[in-house]
Amino acid sequence: MKSLYSLLIAIALISFSACSEDDANSNEGTLALEFDNIVGTSNLELNTANTPYTNSNGEAYKVTWLTYYVSNVKLKREDGTIYEDEVKADGSAGYYLIDESDAESQQVVLKNVPKGNYTEITFTIGVDASQVDEGAQTGPLDPAKGLFWSWNSGYIFMAIEGVSPASTETDEAFQYHVGGYKEDVSNVNLVNNMKTITLNFGDVAPVKPEHQPEVHLVFDVNKLLNGTGESVTFATNASRHSPKACEDLAGNITAAFEVDHVHAN
Amino acid sequence: MRKQAVYVLALAGLISCGDADMSPDNPYAFEHPDNFPDPVYTFENNEITREGFELGRSLFYDPILSIDNSISCANCHQQVVAFSDPVHRFSRGVNDKAGFRNAPAIQNMAFQGDFFWDGGVKHLDFVPINAITSEVEMGETLAHVVGKLQNSEVYREKFTKAFGTSGIDSQQVLHALSQFMNMMISSNSRYDKYVRNEGETLTAIELEGLSLFEKKCASCHTTDLFTDGSFRNNGLDATFEKDRGRERITELSEDRGKFKVPSLRNVELTSPYMHDGRFETLEQVLNHYATQVKDSETLDPSLKTEVVPGISMTDDEKIKIIEFLKTLTDREFIKDSRFSRPRK
Repeated sequence: MKSLYSLLIAIALISFSACSEDDANSNEGTLALEFDNIVGTSNLELNTANTPYTNSNGEAYKVTWLTYYVSNVKLKREDGTIYEDEVKADGSAGYYLIDESDAESQQVVLKNVPKGNYTEITFTIGVDASQVDEGAQTGPLDPAKGLFWSWNSGYIFMAIEGVSPASTETDEAFQYHVGGYKEDVSNVNLVNNMKTITLNFGDVAPVKPEHQPEVHLVFDVNKLLNGTGESVTFATNASRHSPKACEDLAGNITAAFEVDHVHAN
Repeated sequence: MRKQAVYVLALAGLISCGDADMSPDNPYAFEHPDNFPDPVYTFENNEITREGFELGRSLFYDPILSIDNSISCANCHQQVVAFSDPVHRFSRGVNDKAGFRNAPAIQNMAFQGDFFWDGGVKHLDFVPINAITSEVEMGETLAHVVGKLQNSEVYREKFTKAFGTSGIDSQQVLHALSQFMNMMISSNSRYDKYVRNEGETLTAIELEGLSLFEKKCASCHTTDLFTDGSFRNNGLDATFEKDRGRERITELSEDRGKFKVPSLRNVELTSPYMHDGRFETLEQVLNHYATQVKDSETLDPSLKTEVVPGISMTDDEKIKIIEFLKTLTDREFIKDSRFSRPRK
């Protein structure tokens, strides 16, 4: 009798706990973002043997490094409500370092997203002033990642390097390190190059328990090098490191991102 | 009965150990001197603890931060001279390389918002990165230094004790160094004790020097930090091709030739003087201000108030000012064993 009683209690406990788990899960799910870096119609490959890509000024090039910070991700649901990915002041949440040489970094999984049909995303390419003012950060913002420019302006939030025969720099290199997070009326050299980008999916990403929709975004290097901001010529300027020098290039960033497709899963 | 006594003692021992941080004489508590302005460091992101401070101290004195294990922070920043370089106008880094600016003193860092002679770094946490990654100083990379520390069992243990996590990252390295440097407060010179009415008296000459200092020097070397933290061209040169100073950071021509006003605390010890260490003695410094100031577009307005650029003073006045400046030497700071080389 005792053992049956215990068994009943055990069953009751298990089913109650199962119930509470369901309650927590049934309102939330996850959504994956895939950042795919391309060059026009080709996939981006780093460190190719030759220079397979061509910019809009007919200059051949290859890419050796492409990386950028994504932060402050927001998702918009069909009904207009917005979910904001948590951002922590010390950099331990909300900042993602997308690095072409690190395949894992190119997928960002957003957790605890309220269920529903999502149609739009907003995100920032940049690292804002607070991350410098608060001192050393951790995670993706760890200065050891090599994107922190301690001497002066703080974080480089988008970097692209490569080689082109058109470049007059050492080893025919081109280097564009885009930083700059603050504007200052008293100093024209300080510009805010951070970009906030909003993209409509053109489709629906349904978030619900036990399903993970994927939103595939593409970043087109050719559009970074050629857009309404400017049309880059390696021959005239292959090395840009200050916020002012990257201002025009940064103007191309927004249009270089697009939603390619969505997997509802 | 004896057994019980032992247990009670043991318990008492445990309790007192645990609450060490809260006692009023805690050597690891940041104390804000009464005569100083408020600190600006972001303590809320990095509170000082005993373990963090001692870890920072170990790192400060450890040449593991350099590429060939030859240079530690303490090579160029020695306590005996308020953590400036006691020997070199331009300190020597790895492979005996030299830079182009004089190593400043490390003191009262928690009260500063701009670091280095041109203010290029705006948070104390990031200051060590420059020394670590400079080719003429330590020649390393931050990632590689972190790797070396991770390979050391001794350091792994120290970092875990200080930060509670099992890995080591650069944030912890930089936070530990900041904890150490933030504690380096110099506020117990004879001048401080005089001004705070702690039983110190200044001689007649020193008091005359103080009065002259307030008239002639304190527009820039102001507050009891003895600097207003601004960037000014003090007329060392007429042109600045070799070192453009603050302009290098802001890229504004109006900042050409401007350098940070340094604190004059411990100035008796931190020779040579100016951003490039061109003056060996305080006499030379005052001679410069009296008769050798060179005009240029960006010369500071405070040096243009007299007929000739500069600050006029008689030889007698110079002597008195220097006597006053010597009262800013803080012998407690340079002997404070908390900041000395740790014993292994």
